[in-house]
Amino acid sequence: MKLAAVDWIFIVWYFILSIGIGLYYSKRAGKSISEYFLSGRSLPWWLLGTSMVATTFSSDTPLAVTGIVIKDGVSGNWFWWNFMLGGALTVLFFAHLWRRAEVVTEVEFIDIRYSGRPARFLRGFKALYLGIPVSCITFGWVTLAMVKIIRITFGTSGITALAVCLGLTVFYTTLSGLWGVVATDMLLFGVAMAGSIILSVVSVEKAGGIGALVEAVRAAGAGAGKDYLSVFPPLGQALPLAFFVALFVQWWAVYYPGAEPGGGGWIAQRMLAGKSSKHAVQGTLWFTIAHYVIRPWPWILTALAALVVLPGIAGGSAGEMEAAYPRMIAFLPKGVAGIVIASFFAAFMSTIESIVNLSGSFLLNDFYRPFIRKNASERHYVAASRVLVLVVSLLGAGFSYVLGSVKMGWQLVMELSAGIGLVLLLRWYWWRINAWSEIAALSASAATAVYLKIFPENALVRGLGSALERAGFRIDAWGVSILLIVAVTTAAWIAATFLTKPDDPQKLLAFYRKVRPGGFWGPVARMNGGAYRLQAAPFVGWGLAVLMILFLLLGLGKVIFMEWGAGAAYLAAGGLAALLLAKVIAKIDWEGRR
Amino acid sequence: MKKEYRPMALGFWGVGLPLLLFGIFFCRTAAQRAAVILLAAVFFLVGTLIYRAKQ
Repeated sequence: MKLAAVDWIFIVWYFILSIGIGLYYSKRAGKSISEYFLSGRSLPWWLLGTSMVATTFSSDTPLAVTGIVIKDGVSGNWFWWNFMLGGALTVLFFAHLWRRAEVVTEVEFIDIRYSGRPARFLRGFKALYLGIPVSCITFGWVTLAMVKIIRITFGTSGITALAVCLGLTVFYTTLSGLWGVVATDMLLFGVAMAGSIILSVVSVEKAGGIGALVEAVRAAGAGAGKDYLSVFPPLGQALPLAFFVALFVQWWAVYYPGAEPGGGGWIAQRMLAGKSSKHAVQGTLWFTIAHYVIRPWPWILTALAALVVLPGIAGGSAGEMEAAYPRMIAFLPKGVAGIVIASFFAAFMSTIESIVNLSGSFLLNDFYRPFIRKNASERHYVAASRVLVLVVSLLGAGFSYVLGSVKMGWQLVMELSAGIGLVLLLRWYWWRINAWSEIAALSASAATAVYLKIFPENALVRGLGSALERAGFRIDAWGVSILLIVAVTTAAWIAATFLTKPDDPQKLLAFYRKVRPGGFWGPVARMNGGAYRLQAAPFVGWGLAVLMILFLLLGLGKVIFMEWGAGAAYLAAGGLAALLLAKVIAKIDWEGRR
Repeated sequence: MKKEYRPMALGFWGVGLPLLLFGIFFCRTAAQRAAVILLAAVFFLVGTLIYRAKQ
């Protein structure tokens, strides 16, 4: 498509604004590592929460959701909606603990929680693993998606445009650290949402309006034997294994960027950067609502409109289904197209800047500082941080050429880390977990994932698949492999935990007094002279948070599809859950001093 | 207003203004116009809330 002059004016203006905001903070970021990677731990809840959701909203996200909806209907989104259970868990049980820990990164947590050589090894390994291959994979899949969008929209490879965008993003991120990242994230999220809302409005219009769209989608579904509009999958006689695994296993077992069990990655970074424990909790709650309730509906609408407007799309490949989203840009009028194009860049930039800043934090704080150059000045470390951010950016850009597809990228990350979630949750609440537990979990998870890739039809897979079929499930390869990886990993880390010595008691006591977690800290609590209580309120809060998110998600969907009665009922229920949750949150002692 | 928040507030107003203008002059249908102008209003509102955010 060809953009009009007025579209280009908006796009250029958007870049001027976003880069200007980013560069404003470069002086402040240079003061210390705490400023560069944690904004001086001064972020209010609305800023840190919006930054979390801006990072998870990337250029590939609407495409991925479009592909899901066209293939499996709205209910296919339970593939990632299930993580709301883990998100709510992080809000009530982990956000405040992260803030109390006062570490710089999730990897530094290892240093305050575990002791001995295994802890040092684990810290160094995770710093490099998360800082380089995981960040490169994420960087790569996000960049590939942007290349695809530019190619579909403009018919060119767009390498120059992308290189300029990437270069500018990395430039201001390198200079301005996390303050630049979160401040631009506020605007980038706004622009990204504006673009997706506008595209959905135009797409639905193209499909004849919401009433005509609903009728046409129902007819298309009837023809294909699917209910595209149902929020829950059809259960029928056999329960889909993928849905069961998503609802009961995936959210606590799988380490996925943006949905790490108990928080991790950029989610943990923003919690650590909060003004206080309460701000960390409130910000993570806001993120959870924005991420699961607000974000997806414009994409879902656009996907459903594409089903009607683009003939044959439902019979296309996965890549063609995903490409339906940017194809809808062709229907935008001039002046408005520029806003939507800018929104794609906004989504892209908000993810890239977070990834490179986060990776830099791992490499500096958890590898360079503790192992390569100790006791240097803050100025030296800030300079080194900027170099590392640049290096990671170049590696990520290079990796984009090698990565085969967007789907391959996130599938790889998920499968390598499937199964480690439980140990990451329990390490806050059970004294007995040590560095060997995490090492065993990581090793077993990766080894099992690789084994299943090489031998997908092995006896274990066949045996488990048959057993699940007999139990009444409609099996799929993904569900079976996740269950296997989780089972092997859990057995491995539990064995490693009890076969190795507990951590140094003084280290455990120092952690216990600093973080003040409740839970199973028996001998440590006795050394402390008393235990910190695990309150009942967070459990109630967790249930309310999940209900709130679910009802608001359902309610918004019903209202969009003009089912006013059901929509009002769900929204009212969600509102009630929100009110009760607010009361619970107000009552909890987030600093744990009482 | 906190000094750190100033660029964000300006950014939101800076996007809200062209959204308003584009909504008035370039949208073809009532639904498009309403959506874009409403979004402009949201941007102005958020910018103002950020501008007034306390310490």
